[in-house]
Amino acid sequence: MANLTVNLCGVTLKNPVIPASGTFGFGREFDEIYDISVLGGVSTKGLTLEPRAGNPVPRIAERQGVILNAVGLQNPGVDEFLKNDLAWLKSKTRVVANVAGKTLEDYEGICAKLDGLVDFVELNISCPNVKSGGMAFGIRPESILEVTKAAKRNLKKTPLMVKLSPNVESIATNARAAQEGGADCISLINTLTGMAIDIERRRPIIANNTGGVSGAGVKPIAVRMVYEAAQAVEIPIVGMGGITCAEDAIEFMMAGATAVQVGTANFTDTLACPKIIEGLNDWCDRHGVKNVSELKGTLKLNGR
Amino acid sequence: MCEVIATVLENKKIAENVYSLTFYVDEEITIRPGQFVMIGVGAYLLRRPIAVCMAEGGRVTVCYQLKGGGTKFLSDNYKAGEKLSVLLPLGNGFYVEEGEQKVAIVGGGVGVFPLISAIRAYADKKDVYAYMGFRNQNCVCMEYEMRRGKSLVIATDDGSMGYHGTAVQAFMDDYEKIKPDVVLSCGPTPMLRALKNAMEGKGIPVYVSLEERMGCGIGACLVCVCDKTDGKHARVCKDGPVFEIGEVKL
Repeated sequence: MANLTVNLCGVTLKNPVIPASGTFGFGREFDEIYDISVLGGVSTKGLTLEPRAGNPVPRIAERQGVILNAVGLQNPGVDEFLKNDLAWLKSKTRVVANVAGKTLEDYEGICAKLDGLVDFVELNISCPNVKSGGMAFGIRPESILEVTKAAKRNLKKTPLMVKLSPNVESIATNARAAQEGGADCISLINTLTGMAIDIERRRPIIANNTGGVSGAGVKPIAVRMVYEAAQAVEIPIVGMGGITCAEDAIEFMMAGATAVQVGTANFTDTLACPKIIEGLNDWCDRHGVKNVSELKGTLKLNGR
Repeated sequence: MCEVIATVLENKKIAENVYSLTFYVDEEITIRPGQFVMIGVGAYLLRRPIAVCMAEGGRVTVCYQLKGGGTKFLSDNYKAGEKLSVLLPLGNGFYVEEGEQKVAIVGGGVGVFPLISAIRAYADKKDVYAYMGFRNQNCVCMEYEMRRGKSLVIATDDGSMGYHGTAVQAFMDDYEKIKPDVVLSCGPTPMLRALKNAMEGKGIPVYVSLEERMGCGIGACLVCVCDKTDGKHARVCKDGPVFEIGEVKL
């Protein structure tokens, strides 16, 4: 049995596997299928100060190796989450509260409400599916710096994780901006903006026209970006993008990730996360790795 | 609700573009009429949500229409003996109250298949009157199963078989004669709208089963929502797929 625990910003996770925001609700539905206390943590559905209805349907489409989604941050609002779901989720596992906003004040307000109550606040500044879902904050390094600072000012106790968009000029520059703004760690990648067309109707399948691309097909892009970010910052990285098995998770850790998030794979197989955790243990045992955390950043580039 | 590896017993064409897939699940499962399953297909990332048509002692039959690459792959590659990744049973299903004796069933197109599960569940204890609509006679299938109730009217759009018209028209023609206590329905949205209009003000519960593109199938991802008349959203996979007709916008 390998030691799968990882330390992320002083918080101990029993393993590095966290279901990604938007694919796992607040955990209750998956808990009907397996005991979610086996997980390293859960990143919640994106929360906003006020309840949000989200986008019209269809909200999802599929292409080879990827899916596109445009849910549009439908959520009951942070107060309902605090009242109805937090205590239950906390009794199960580490809670990563994913938060989004339209304005700096939204981000400040929601962080202040969650400070000290959750294990991490994950700043969603990269939702591609709503006009003001934070993506405006997530593209340019100056605005990443500004929103990170604003969030950090309101988080006295809870570590801040800033989730970065891949739809940017330089992931290294943006990672550094988050670090400079006071992020305790970063997570990446959020989805890539894409489009899928129904050629019979000559219209996009998704009502929102564009959607966030995720799933196995985006993994090489995500691994490259995690590697580039890891070269640019000292703070820990939570890697994600197309992870479907333990070997995928290990790629991200070798590229520099301390922990990983698993999104789309939860749809393909509801047991994806527990299988990845089991697979990590097997791989470590087979390779004589005593602590999974030893894998972090062990990538060696080929000589030129 | 559980993840299982099922064994395909049969996967065959039963009508134009429609296949019937029967698989065996080696677990204790109870499937209510109107519930559905999510089936993993090859390398596709999203599972295909398909309504249960028949379920008995671990044998589950679902019927699906060839729509795109996923259903085509399912029909071509999953022969008897193949293993199938299935999540089941999902959704709320139909529910008929104790006192509701006369059950009218109104279906159209592939919407008839989840209704067959209701006919099978209630045919012994209730008076079941079925009205099933198809485009033409080549689309008609599983007539034997649809006939288990007290009566069956098959309607075709082109009149090539049975009643010439829609299932809703056939049902409304008989309405005063049968005076149902409850109506269960599934079919294309225009059909459900016609049913809603026809049943307006009759004061009889009408339950409809809806369809939507899904992500997780268990209520976590909020992809497959429908609009409710109270302005809120409901999850088709978890809060539905069966809703009281007045509860949802069609």
